[in-house]
Amino acid sequence: MLPGFSLRIANRLLELDRVADAVEAFGEAHGLSAKLRYQIRLVLDELLTNTISYGYADDGEHGIHVGMAEEGGRLRFLLEDDARPFDPLTARIPDVSAPVEERPIGGLGIHLVRTIMDRVAYERVGGLNRLVLEKDI
Amino acid sequence: MQLVEKESGEVTVLELGGRLDSNTSKVLEDKVMEILGQGKKKVLMDFADVDYINSTGLRVLLLALQQLKKVQGKLVLSSIKDYMKEVFEISGYTEIFPIYPTQEEALANFS
Repeated sequence: MLPGFSLRIANRLLELDRVADAVEAFGEAHGLSAKLRYQIRLVLDELLTNTISYGYADDGEHGIHVGMAEEGGRLRFLLEDDARPFDPLTARIPDVSAPVEERPIGGLGIHLVRTIMDRVAYERVGGLNRLVLEKDI
Repeated sequence: MQLVEKESGEVTVLELGGRLDSNTSKVLEDKVMEILGQGKKKVLMDFADVDYINSTGLRVLLLALQQLKKVQGKLVLSSIKDYMKEVFEISGYTEIFPIYPTQEEALANFS
């Protein structure tokens, strides 16, 4: 069993550097390609940036749990936070084939998450947003 | 993020480096607005040294393209690292941006 990673970050954008470092270490431990490492970092960045920037009603410090593991040729990521309920699966997706002039600015992050990952499951449990993301390798 | 501005004939070349993310993309957005303010209409962004871009960075590219289109300008991208190309495809950007393997090819195809 190769190592999984589990870290707890504070709701500050600067903490994303720690997540990026953890993805690099995880990617190295599992021999993941540069493309996969980049895409995983991107997915976690998009979701965590959303949560940290828009998820909290107060300015206080909140912890966010980030887990990474590999099981049977499948990468699994877990994000848990106590921010406002937010299900990325119901968020509106921009039309990425619209002509330039009509293309909406924004919403791209969630589209990237849903396209890059093979499975995304959301649930709200005990006041927490719990997101499980899987990518086949 | 690093940003070096050069002129090549009528084309403004922006050589970008490092990360284009939520903490840094504003620098590029401000530079694009400055270039537009100077009435320049041909812009080439060279991604040779960019090792990370997220949706905030991608959004700045779309904004720049939309602004340049309004004045019949042109925005061309070059030298995007292989491992980042799929994200440009997923974003639908390969349909709306001319993208070249090298800065030289991008410049040659500009006119």
